[in-house]
Amino acid sequence: MSPPVLQVEGLAVRMRTEGGVAEILDDVSLTVPRGGTVGVVGESGCGKSTLLRAILGILPKGGETPRGAILFEGRDILSDRAASARGRIGFVPQDPYLSLNPVFRAGDQILEIMRRHAPGSRADRKRRIVELFRAVQLPDPEAALRKYPHQFSGGQRQRLLIAAALACDPALLVADEPTTALDVTTQREILALLRRLVAERGLSLLFVTHDFGVLASVCAEVTVLYAGRVAERGPTRAVLDAPRHPYTRLLLACHPDRATDLLGIPGTVPAATAQPGGCRFHPRCPIIHSGCPVEPPPLVALPGGRAVACPWHEDAIPEALRA
Amino acid sequence: MTALRHLMRDPVAAFGLLIVVFAALVAVFAPWIAPHPDDAFESHLLQRLRPPSAEFPFGTDNLGRDILSRVILGTRNALLVAVAVVVAAMAIGVPIGLAAGWKEGWLSEALMRVTDVFLAVPQLILALALGQLLAPGIASAMVALALTYWPFFARTVFAETRRLRSALFVDALAGIGASPSRILFLHVLPNAAPAVLVRATIGMGFTILTAAILGFLGVGAAPPSPDWGLAVSEARQHLPEAWWFPTFPGLAILLLVLGFNLLGDGLRDAADPRLRRSRR
Amino acid sequence: MPEILGASQLVVELGARRGLLRHRAGVRAVDGVEISIAEGETFGIVGESGCGKTTLARTLLGLQRESAGEVRLEGRVVSGLDPRAARRARDAIQYVHQDPGAALDPWWRVGATLAEGLAIHGVGDRAEQQARIAGMLRAVGLDAALADRYPHELSGGQQRRIGLARILLLRPKVVILDEPTAGLDLSVQAAVLRLLRDLRAQFGLTYVFISHDLSVVRRVCDRVAVMYLGRVVEEGSAATLFAEPRHPYTRALIAAAPHLDGRESGPSLPGDPPSLRAVPPGCRFHPRCAHAAPSCATSEPVREVAAADHAVACLRWRVLA
Repeated sequence: MSPPVLQVEGLAVRMRTEGGVAEILDDVSLTVPRGGTVGVVGESGCGKSTLLRAILGILPKGGETPRGAILFEGRDILSDRAASARGRIGFVPQDPYLSLNPVFRAGDQILEIMRRHAPGSRADRKRRIVELFRAVQLPDPEAALRKYPHQFSGGQRQRLLIAAALACDPALLVADEPTTALDVTTQREILALLRRLVAERGLSLLFVTHDFGVLASVCAEVTVLYAGRVAERGPTRAVLDAPRHPYTRLLLACHPDRATDLLGIPGTVPAATAQPGGCRFHPRCPIIHSGCPVEPPPLVALPGGRAVACPWHEDAIPEALRA
Repeated sequence: MTALRHLMRDPVAAFGLLIVVFAALVAVFAPWIAPHPDDAFESHLLQRLRPPSAEFPFGTDNLGRDILSRVILGTRNALLVAVAVVVAAMAIGVPIGLAAGWKEGWLSEALMRVTDVFLAVPQLILALALGQLLAPGIASAMVALALTYWPFFARTVFAETRRLRSALFVDALAGIGASPSRILFLHVLPNAAPAVLVRATIGMGFTILTAAILGFLGVGAAPPSPDWGLAVSEARQHLPEAWWFPTFPGLAILLLVLGFNLLGDGLRDAADPRLRRSRR
Repeated sequence: MPEILGASQLVVELGARRGLLRHRAGVRAVDGVEISIAEGETFGIVGESGCGKTTLARTLLGLQRESAGEVRLEGRVVSGLDPRAARRARDAIQYVHQDPGAALDPWWRVGATLAEGLAIHGVGDRAEQQARIAGMLRAVGLDAALADRYPHELSGGQQRRIGLARILLLRPKVVILDEPTAGLDLSVQAAVLRLLRDLRAQFGLTYVFISHDLSVVRRVCDRVAVMYLGRVVEEGSAATLFAEPRHPYTRALIAAAPHLDGRESGPSLPGDPPSLRAVPPGCRFHPRCAHAAPSCATSEPVREVAAADHAVACLRWRVLA
């Protein structure tokens, strides 16, 4: 078995803010196997965008040196600041409207990205872009080269950005909620495109989202983050069908497809500067226990490749909460 | 008060504020601070053009007057002119900008074209012409400055009003039945205030500079009143020997204009509650 | 239940300009819409971006002027008035913006914003204002101390609650909710939906629920209208519409919504939402429709009754059923 494409080991990120030290990520581990599709899911403030920034090497300056390791194709890209190490990570951003400069032709912007990665003449690169445009099913790829961003629809712009992410011949595609700004009909097409690209090109995919439906349609595995820690991980189907961490269980019960009644989760996500001690979910937890560990509960391995950071994952959630 | 705290956190803006507050204090207490308050009008020909010394820290001018005292006394004139011009320009420009920005149509078009015409009039030339037409003096200079500065306020307020008119909160106000005048004066105007404030602050500096130039050209303040621009102008005949004569009034102009500009830049960031969040 | 809000043959033209030199034709963002909303129900309006759902809402509200057609509120005709009069006549309808943070004046404390609505509606007494505001903040589940905050100091969920409190203070009968859950986290969304349900019962409200999230619409709406390019293509009770969608567009829309179980049903809908600037002839949906026949490109479908409380505007719905 080949080594994983991406391996995040015990990643901890802290930032100094005016409100104090923010513990944004704490002991986060994550593995994306070669050809695998891994989703990172969580609500705002769970640290998913910081995780993404750490992987892409764009953590804001001035934070404390992150601890842990991020191995991409066996190389530690967290300590190795060289951009070349991340050369084969393609990034698909969240908002296609904001990610292209409106005054330059879309083709030229992608050519510019490619120039850093692909040797060869401009003509070669153009030929390659047209190929990529074809691969992402952009209508009339030749003409698309000469168009400006506003001449494309939202879905086409997202295809353009996927083409741009593919331009560096990536081993890993990192996508940050790439369909949030799109209509459901367009979203479905983009998700289908991503699935096809992963299958055909042997790519690996790390997909950050807050939408469980999108997650279910793209990712084979999922890591659920809560307040900067991994709450639960495992195969997507298994986690969605039978969540084990109380947070995942409550969160999924909020999903309109699922909820017997609209539950909600009491309380709010803690501020990153005031993370509760022990289990970070304990102030909101319905099955909080006198036996809850004082230390952060470690991830316990379960059968079926799953893991959960809660010792009481077998317990039922009290019915009283279903008011 | 929150705005002030934020302003003080920006060292450059705080420096600007310091200069402006200092100048304002000097202006208010000028007659008591100045070592030779009578030198505004009296001359002492026996002690002309003395270099800086313990008795006259900035030296004396061609009529033997203490330059330090005249710089101090001139602060009041400079600030009064600036405040009067900016207030007059705002009084004309803000209502025009509001009216033109709020409604689309021929009136708006007409107002903005008139604004553009005034914007195209060269400030100094209008001041010179008015000086000839009326009487050369500080009053006609102020009229000229106000007449050429209001279009900046009109443009600023126009742009802000246009932006705010389509803002969601204005739409929401219309939704709950707020009258246009309520929206305009209680919501649009306060939201446009930071931009106007910034414009006004920078305008103060600009006006002080232009008033000094007019004084230098002889169509602003008339002798013997203690005016910085006038002093620099009078000093020309005594250069290069009496270097101190133009230097200290010139530095006063530089410092005060700089102060207003730095403060203006700082206010832009500090006065907006939305920006406070990002700084926190 | 009797109708509380309705519209017939409603047409809204946007962006028409008569200049000295240029004469620009507008687009028909709403083109012949028929709806009837019963008292006490939650009426969903769904469709892709640009289908005219927000324009329809703003027209019902009276913020946007109708070009033709009729709007009825509590049995009275309230269309054909000038904008100020139209808004006054429709005071019983209130609107909650999609972005509740931006709908609050950033310079005003939340409490002042809430009091302002009351002042506009003739409640000038400070003490009464404060009492009503405190009561309403409690009703929407907020701490009364929040009234001293500025909008940007609130979380997304709190801003939404303030947006609701602000219009509920005006004692409306119909509340138009524009994408009330857009951009909210799942847990906050659930809390907001529950709150909406409770408020509807407490204040006897009727909701017009505009959303692109079909999972949510299915869950909270009693009846649903599906819009496509300014027209209602299908309308019916949420139960029937989601169980037996008749219009191919509705089917595609339902199929496109991602499900928790990861299943994908039905064909996907190719192409992008079309533009109002180039409305296709015949059935507006035919260029994207998997079941289009040649006749679809020439004749316009009319609204037909498919079942009790279920109407569809498709030439071939009988064939496809």
